[in-house]
Amino acid sequence: MKLIAEIAGAQHEVEIGRDRSRVVAQVDGRRYEVEALASRPGVYLLLSEDKVYECRVERGAARRESLEVAVGSHAYAVTLTDPKRLRGTSQSGAHAGGTAQIIAQMPGKVVRVLVEMGAEVEAGAGVVVVEAMKMQNEIKSPKAGKVTSINVAAGATVNAGDLLAVIE
Amino acid sequence: MFRKILIANRGEIAVRVARACRDMGISPVAVFSEADAGALHVRLADEAYEIGPAPSVESYLRIERIIEAAERCQAEAIHPGYGFLAENADFAQAVADAGLTFIGPTAAAMRLMGTKTSARRIAVESGVPVVPGTTDPLSSLDEARRVAAGFGYPVMLKAAAGGGGKGMRLVTSEEELPSAFETAQSEAAAAFGNSEVYIEKAIERPRHIEIQIFADQHGNVVHLGERECSIQRRHQKVIEECPSPINDADLRERMGAAAVKAARAVDYTGAGTVEFLVSDATREFYFLEMNTRLQVEHPVTELVTGVDLVREQIRVAAGEPLSFKQEEVAWRGHAIECRVYAEDPENNFLPSPGRITHLRSPAGPGVRDDGGVEAGAEVSIYYDPMISKLAVWGRTRGEAVDRLRRALDEYAVGGIKTTLPFFRQIVRDRDFIEGRLDTGFISRFFARRDAAAASTEVGEDDTKRRDMALIAAALDYLTAQQQAASNHQPQGQEQSRWRLSGRMALHRRS
Repeated sequence: MKLIAEIAGAQHEVEIGRDRSRVVAQVDGRRYEVEALASRPGVYLLLSEDKVYECRVERGAARRESLEVAVGSHAYAVTLTDPKRLRGTSQSGAHAGGTAQIIAQMPGKVVRVLVEMGAEVEAGAGVVVVEAMKMQNEIKSPKAGKVTSINVAAGATVNAGDLLAVIE
Repeated sequence: MFRKILIANRGEIAVRVARACRDMGISPVAVFSEADAGALHVRLADEAYEIGPAPSVESYLRIERIIEAAERCQAEAIHPGYGFLAENADFAQAVADAGLTFIGPTAAAMRLMGTKTSARRIAVESGVPVVPGTTDPLSSLDEARRVAAGFGYPVMLKAAAGGGGKGMRLVTSEEELPSAFETAQSEAAAAFGNSEVYIEKAIERPRHIEIQIFADQHGNVVHLGERECSIQRRHQKVIEECPSPINDADLRERMGAAAVKAARAVDYTGAGTVEFLVSDATREFYFLEMNTRLQVEHPVTELVTGVDLVREQIRVAAGEPLSFKQEEVAWRGHAIECRVYAEDPENNFLPSPGRITHLRSPAGPGVRDDGGVEAGAEVSIYYDPMISKLAVWGRTRGEAVDRLRRALDEYAVGGIKTTLPFFRQIVRDRDFIEGRLDTGFISRFFARRDAAAASTEVGEDDTKRRDMALIAAALDYLTAQQQAASNHQPQGQEQSRWRLSGRMALHRRS
């Protein structure tokens, strides 16, 4: 199986074949023979040339293709694309077409909305204050522009991924 | 001594108190909100009482519910932990009025030290030095502007009823004052139900050093030395240590004496902490506030002095004299604590609630992990995001840092983001290793880190580790694909397992 993996903006080609615990893989042409043990879902113990790599794979909440892989105390954000299925890596959303969607990154309660419809905001200006776990977090605009939509009011409860406002 | 103690708290501190109860042969009783029915602090108790819905105002802050539970189970005493009702004088009074023992100071002492403005006044009266600023809450933005102009920027806005860095704002210029004033007031109102804010001159490159004190009901007041808590983020402590890297016997003696003086001024009983700002340059110290409770960072004092502070709290509350004298307090070695939060250090430390899918706590020589969660537990949006306190001890600060680095690397938490990766970087930071700390440490650390990241070369080991991460990701994808495929086929694994259990049921019947 061939996959395209993206880490920190760089693409890597991963080819992998498995026969029980024996895994043969090529990453960008580097060949590895690995003994892989999956004792629990998402936890892979890889042995490669007597070196131990305990890897924990977690699927992102937002998109199934974005994974977080922890190897020992190191962590990697990985986006997988299966060329056969052509899923994943759609880069639309956050900054497409000069608009910025202000998204709640965690569940919480809207304490204040700091901008008004139609107002011009600077990059880095606070848009909405969301409280979670006793801390108020000011969610800032990633770009300068005009507020074209406010989707929440003070007192509202929001979930991670909810659209709070749009800056154009 | 008490037979039964109700612990009016949750998470790691409830677990910590339950452990001290067990050590003393006392039966620990838990209370819990609907969100915490299966929590670790409930599992480790002998009895547990539900006190309301998830939001803390409807459960952990409901005084009458907690006292009702204590009466129902016939507990003789209530330990408040820290946070929630720990510094609420009305709660201490209500506990006393119900004929129960509150494990902490009297309501009167709490009231005197409870608001920072009143505490400041007491410090001034008892001859303990304070930072220039107002002793009364500010009545308006105009007043704030006037006072700040009086001693110049930067200034610090603080909630009168505050603590833990909430409702606290550094203001570097007059332009920032209006929005900071509003935010400080609204945070204070939300967190403490009291929007009063006061103002202080900000000391530059200050170190935050606090003194642990202990007092019994027989007039004995002692101090257990200092804790350095200069590493702060959003004015909240994240790493604490004992002794302070700038400690010397003379400074400790002078600060200890000042702390004892402040405690005596309010007839204090139990465990308390007097916080000071210490100028790194002049070694002058200023009284900040007194916390009338156990502190999150108490383990570092315990590791270095050998005194179990929770056990001592329980003894003192039961009317026993302190189990040690001032001259018997000895400081051995060095301890450091990290507060492990469910927050994403790569995303501006946003809270990261969710289910903990994997948990491996570190252990081994010199390592103590005071955790409050287990694998499978849900870190809720309703409460403080701290999931554990990791503390280490070594004979020297260097040895402690070595053990901390090892323990942090060993610590694995899955399912949520934690501040562990951030701590792993800090323990490798030159300034941290050399003990050059002040409250501006974190922001300078971030600047250093970003500069270092830009120039880091990628070695062969790094490439291989990253490749292994990619292989694991691909394996996970492959496994998910195969599972999905087998779920669609009648001969899949799930199917055969069903068939097997069906056959076993048949066997049992026959």
